[in-house]
Amino acid sequence: MTAEVVTGVEPAPVTVASRGRSARLRELAPFLPAALLLGILFFVPLGVMFIFSLWTTNANLDIVPVWNLDNYAQFFQTGAYVRTLAKTVVMGGAVTTICLVFSLAVAYFLARYVSRRWARLALLVIIVPFWSSYLLRVYSWQAILGEKGALNQVLMSLGLIKEPSLLFVYNDIGTFIVLTYVYLPFAILVLYASLERFDYTQLTAAQDLGASPSRAFRYILLPQIRPGLITAAIFVFIPILGEFLTPSMVGGASGLLIANLIQTFFKNALVPQGAALGLLIVAFVTVLLIVFRKYLRVEDVYARG
Amino acid sequence: MAKAVDPLETMPVSRYAGLTRWGLRLIFAFLVLFLYLPIVFMVAFSFDASQTPSFPIQGPTLHWYDVMIHNRQLLSAVANTITVSLIVSVLATIIGTMAAFVLVRGRLRYPNGIRIAFTMPIMVPGVLVGISLLIFFSRAFHANLSLMTVIAGQLVVTVPFVVLIVASRLQSFDRKLEWAAADLGASPRRTLRHVVLPLIAPAILAGALICITLSIDEFVITWFTVGNQPTLPTYIYTKVKFGVTPEVNAVATVMLVATLLIFGIASVVLGRGRRRLPGRRRGAAPTA
Repeated sequence: MTAEVVTGVEPAPVTVASRGRSARLRELAPFLPAALLLGILFFVPLGVMFIFSLWTTNANLDIVPVWNLDNYAQFFQTGAYVRTLAKTVVMGGAVTTICLVFSLAVAYFLARYVSRRWARLALLVIIVPFWSSYLLRVYSWQAILGEKGALNQVLMSLGLIKEPSLLFVYNDIGTFIVLTYVYLPFAILVLYASLERFDYTQLTAAQDLGASPSRAFRYILLPQIRPGLITAAIFVFIPILGEFLTPSMVGGASGLLIANLIQTFFKNALVPQGAALGLLIVAFVTVLLIVFRKYLRVEDVYARG
Repeated sequence: MAKAVDPLETMPVSRYAGLTRWGLRLIFAFLVLFLYLPIVFMVAFSFDASQTPSFPIQGPTLHWYDVMIHNRQLLSAVANTITVSLIVSVLATIIGTMAAFVLVRGRLRYPNGIRIAFTMPIMVPGVLVGISLLIFFSRAFHANLSLMTVIAGQLVVTVPFVVLIVASRLQSFDRKLEWAAADLGASPRRTLRHVVLPLIAPAILAGALICITLSIDEFVITWFTVGNQPTLPTYIYTKVKFGVTPEVNAVATVMLVATLLIFGIASVVLGRGRRRLPGRRRGAAPTA
């Protein structure tokens, strides 16, 4: 590096903050548009939603400013709502798990057995499908999983089933398959980034010292890519809490998730109830973001390749 | 006597090593199939004569492309989408880049808090962003929904992306380059223009490209903030809900090819820029 050459140079006083308040203001001015934008169009609307969540509706579905926490209490006292919430969390957990396992295998393969040049190409191949319409890709799954779909055709021609199966779509299985499809590439990108940095001679060293390959994998590799695993899990799990498009297209009536419930509330003009449920999810996501703030490298997930 | 033996060759290689490798190859092949199946279907059905995307396949036709270019509504939806995405990406890139400079260099208080605040719009589910905006626009402003509200809604998610991407590039930026420029007599403005901006240009461009792709395909927030001028995704959604017509597959195919072209050109341009840049954190040398 050229560092040694420059170390003797005293850092030039680039900042002007010391010159007083107006200079400091001028320095901060470029931040203002973004701060105002987020404030007015994100935080204030959430605040408005919070206020609505404390109000209630009368018999005519008009919103009346009666302050209480009934909407929140009512949500937790309604079995169907709590079950939908639980199902969403279970679905998120299941999709996250399969995504992590699957993408660990793929990323490990690319990082260890493929030259970096081909690995980059492979990552590109993995991302390209995401440059076409999300809606139509999900819609295409209906043609694959549906009654007259490709999967049934293949299974029938193989003689594995006689009748077209209705098992694959318009239920939780359909939602599960398509959600995995949607979030897998993010997990692969994140895990590849950590596996690419891993020094594989450590595995050889561990085996040299008598560890079995699986032991070396478990005790040498996995602990070192833990941050990557956590990041990947967050970037799969949190968005699923708000997924309403995929369940509404391939989930049928039984495969709906919590975000579909929120939408239903608003569609039926039950604004305070919907707002309360929405705020619960916002609060949950915010807590996750604060707890895992170290692992939130959004730019690493999206700005690669 | 005996030749020197590479110690690695005497390593006990697991009996399953070869098997593992083949297994992983198989998994990768399965992955590619899994990811491309829907795209293949989408493209295939845009050339298939049948009305609904289902089997059996009825034979090749360009009929849907013909329908596509004569469908006024569809074309105006495409035009709306392009307008919105251009405005959004230009605004988001400018607003976001300015904020990123202050975030990295402005010695703001609570930098972690601000970081989380900028991550929230990305991570909070789009349904909630969309619904809260809808309530806000309709109840607080009694505003009519239009492309303006769509642009406003999309800015909420795109600006944070630009901020985070550009900030991460600025963080790894070697400030000695600026001090050297200042030392050589360049004004702050000149330093910014001729030293800083060219060096972080790839990050800004990456941010802008992400904004365009996000905006073109943004459905959820747009769905709640759109008025009577649909964008392409909201138009497709209404079509899909009330029985799809295969010309949307044709549009999606055209859009896919267009995006591939844009990205191909961008990556060639970026790749050239990258090779000229000194001190890039990630070695982009293709020889590696």
